[in-house]
Amino acid sequence: MAHIQEPAGRVGWSVERSRAVCGPRTRPDLSRRSLLTATGAAGATFLFSSALGVPAYAAKGRRRVYVLVVDGCKPGEITSELTPRLASLRHAGRNYPRARSMPVMETIPNHVMMMTGVRPDRSGVPANSIFDRGTGEVRDMDRPTDLVFPTVIERLNRAGFTTGTVLSKEYLYGVFGDRATHRWEPSPVIPVSGHAPDVFTMDAALAMVEELDPNLVFVNLGDVDRMGHSDFTGPNLQLARQLALAETDLQVGRFVDMLKTSGRWRHSAVIVLADHSMDWSLPHQIVNLHSAFEAVPTLAGKVQIADNGGADLLYWTGPRSGRAAAVQKMREVALATAGVLSVHSPASQRLSSLAGDLVVYCRAGWRFSDPEYVDNPIPGNHGHPATEPIPFFIGGGSDRVPRRTSSSRLARTLDVAPTVGALFGLGAPRGGYDGRTLL
Amino acid sequence: MTPTCPAVDRRTVLSAGAVGAAALTVASSTRADAAERFFRHGVASGDPRPRSVILWTRVTPTEASTPGSGRGPRVTVRWQVARDVAFRRVVSQGRITTGPSRDHTVKVDATGLEPATRYFYRFLYDGVASRTGRTKTAPAPNADHGRLRFGVVSCANWQAGWFSPYRHLANRDDLDLVLHLGDYLYEYAPGEYGYGNAEVDIRPHAPAHEMVNLGDYRQRHAQYKTDPDLQRLHAKYPFVVTWDDHEVTNDQWADGAENHQPAEGDYHERKARAHRAYDEWMPVRMGDGTALGDGTRLFRRLSFGKLAELSMLDLRTYRSEQVKLAATPVPSPDPAISDPSRTITGNRQMEWLKESLQDDRALWKLVGNPVMITPVVFPPLPTEVLAGVHDVTGLYPEDGLPYNADQWDGYTADRHELFEHLRDHGVQNTVFLTGDIHSAWACDLPVDAGTYPASDTVGTEFVCTSVTSNNLKDITGTPARTTSLAVEAGITTVNRHIKYLNFDDHGYSVLDITRERIQMDYFIISDRAQKRATSTRTASWATRVNSQQVQPVQKGIDG
Repeated sequence: MAHIQEPAGRVGWSVERSRAVCGPRTRPDLSRRSLLTATGAAGATFLFSSALGVPAYAAKGRRRVYVLVVDGCKPGEITSELTPRLASLRHAGRNYPRARSMPVMETIPNHVMMMTGVRPDRSGVPANSIFDRGTGEVRDMDRPTDLVFPTVIERLNRAGFTTGTVLSKEYLYGVFGDRATHRWEPSPVIPVSGHAPDVFTMDAALAMVEELDPNLVFVNLGDVDRMGHSDFTGPNLQLARQLALAETDLQVGRFVDMLKTSGRWRHSAVIVLADHSMDWSLPHQIVNLHSAFEAVPTLAGKVQIADNGGADLLYWTGPRSGRAAAVQKMREVALATAGVLSVHSPASQRLSSLAGDLVVYCRAGWRFSDPEYVDNPIPGNHGHPATEPIPFFIGGGSDRVPRRTSSSRLARTLDVAPTVGALFGLGAPRGGYDGRTLL
Repeated sequence: MTPTCPAVDRRTVLSAGAVGAAALTVASSTRADAAERFFRHGVASGDPRPRSVILWTRVTPTEASTPGSGRGPRVTVRWQVARDVAFRRVVSQGRITTGPSRDHTVKVDATGLEPATRYFYRFLYDGVASRTGRTKTAPAPNADHGRLRFGVVSCANWQAGWFSPYRHLANRDDLDLVLHLGDYLYEYAPGEYGYGNAEVDIRPHAPAHEMVNLGDYRQRHAQYKTDPDLQRLHAKYPFVVTWDDHEVTNDQWADGAENHQPAEGDYHERKARAHRAYDEWMPVRMGDGTALGDGTRLFRRLSFGKLAELSMLDLRTYRSEQVKLAATPVPSPDPAISDPSRTITGNRQMEWLKESLQDDRALWKLVGNPVMITPVVFPPLPTEVLAGVHDVTGLYPEDGLPYNADQWDGYTADRHELFEHLRDHGVQNTVFLTGDIHSAWACDLPVDAGTYPASDTVGTEFVCTSVTSNNLKDITGTPARTTSLAVEAGITTVNRHIKYLNFDDHGYSVLDITRERIQMDYFIISDRAQKRATSTRTASWATRVNSQQVQPVQKGIDG
């Protein structure tokens, strides 16, 4: 059962956490949102924040679309042995075996691409981490104002549909802000990883669907990715990864079971994909561009680096007049550094100007650690081309979902919004999508 | 010595199951005799594109116009492509003049066709029609095509036996094309390379000496194209071919070959003659079109919608000389094997291949690969079988070193460059389809064979066995499934990425390609000395999409 609470002084924990994550500028505007407590099937209580003035139960029509992101999953990891529920969902619906994450192959930009259907030069979110020239600091792109393109979430809301976000990672909760009709704040959050374990995320997703029943729910399950990042190399990593995959599979199974037992299945499309893949580096295969630039007199002290694991964004901070020569030199130095795969202009990757002057990718089995060698100690990384392949399939009982088929066409994270929009009969945003409808 | 040309009923155009008895095109024995006289080397098609396909034949206008003779008149031959076997709906046709300058071969690029469509074609000379061939165009570039099926063959030595694998493939009615991975013909003289360890010639080569001159190559190509099983297969399906070494001579490389001696003249001239005869006699695009001399570039791509793209390699024309492995008590390779200045592809082909192997092109990245790319490190083996293993596969040098310097194992820098490209760019679903070594394999391609299976794989490889060329049991003279079993077990134990290996049998494979998986069925034949050898499926292996691994499959493609 759910009930709506008016904003009051005692919203305490939730608001404090929001401030801690998002900073003062991104504090949710409580004046037009309410907090809603839902009781899940197991008796746990969930706190959802919902837009005021929107009737909580006012889903429009019977169609439901659920986007489940298995964060950091590799396409080959979904097998009938290890992840039977995911494999079954894939088998029964429409599979896109040739699916890719888009530059930069990181969590925030790809979730933004999923919900906007446009590339970062239009969405405003090119990477997880950027150098903010305004503040002079490297920071995460976790502010609602970082996202400058209308998401399919907002556009559905305007069309009278209801939406929900259940995102396990604090920075995703941050960047999508209060766009959805209903949103869940990740809790409890593991301090090191900054995410809520999948079992809690799924409890919240189930409660949101059962109690609030939005037309669209966007869910991020973070365990598989976090087990890629946080554990050690060697057999422990493989074991932990497999356990995480098996656990996430159980959670997806719970979601499917709920849809079926509640009668929603026949009206539902369930889009399952990853935001990026994962690549593990060896301890001695670290790229540190900072020290390479510091060794060049014309560059020393004038290059800022935003480290995105498998991708470094480089920013020239010296005088504008020297930029062209400096960028050329940065390119040369980066290409001469062991472990570097390629160097690109942000425009060629369709990244916004926030991505700086150059984007550098590392090779498989390597990672960036900048500015210091110890700044990125985790073996599992993404952001580089090795981590482009992702699983991507659409299940569900809706008559719009083809049964037991597969397509050889390229599918990309930015195809999610056009596909979701089309399922609800929503037109393209101004300027059109960069992605395309998959169904 | 005059070759024995088997009696052929050339009026049997296609298998009855394919087009029915009504499909037989020759109405009278007189006309049949004329067709047999004019078109005695059959018809063929190849390199299908969505809107065009190569058509080939050889016309013999006078009895004196024998292959390689340089004699006979210039003549004009008509060609027709139709949707129906009775040629009521002709959709493309034309005329082409040929003569002794091109050994009376006819090769045209039939255009204006529809994608993924079956066609019938024939040639006409002096009012007489050739046998009718059947072919099929490739799917349209953007088609989300669901299935492809290839016959896969390599290594057909005339002297070692009858080409029953070709007959069994021709008996099928479900293939889109036949992939021939090289050693389509052999250069040897009679008595040099025959059946089994006694080197018996089941049927001798013509001319009766090693092919060296242009006339030799032309005659040998002509002889192979009189084989009834090969003729039927050519007439039924388009071929996609590449050459390995024997199309010129054994173990050829850019500037020489093991089987080229100074007395045989300048090697480059010999190679040019071999390439010219190949261009004349094979239904293949070399360069931009079908004109002779418009190019010698054999590496090329064939696209099949979004489902698959096939990159055919030429691993002989640009390669560095093979490393001669020196004897050593320690099984370690000569460092030159890994010299980055040495190449098996050449720089241009390597860059082209890396362009081919991108995920924005097609789901399955198929590579028609003349020599094996899977790393093979041999375990210690009984000395009795060492020489045999070396002879049949070249995999185990007689001096006991672990690498075969004639395949990718002898050019490790190129292999590293390719595997690193696949891994660095997250390229999925690359499948190498390989011939050359007269044995059947299914392998994962490990980034690091030493740490496999803990380390990544970058693709898979399926290797088909030989049509007739000698394998291990033939070399050792032992019964099948005896000595070879120990060798196979030894190899797969040490090389854990090698999942399947059969050193003993001859045959062919059928490759079935869907969006879900690629499956290779390995078929073996009974004694290749028998004209009517039987065929059975012996194993099936598959790679599931995005798995980057092979796995055994119980059920064959045919159910």
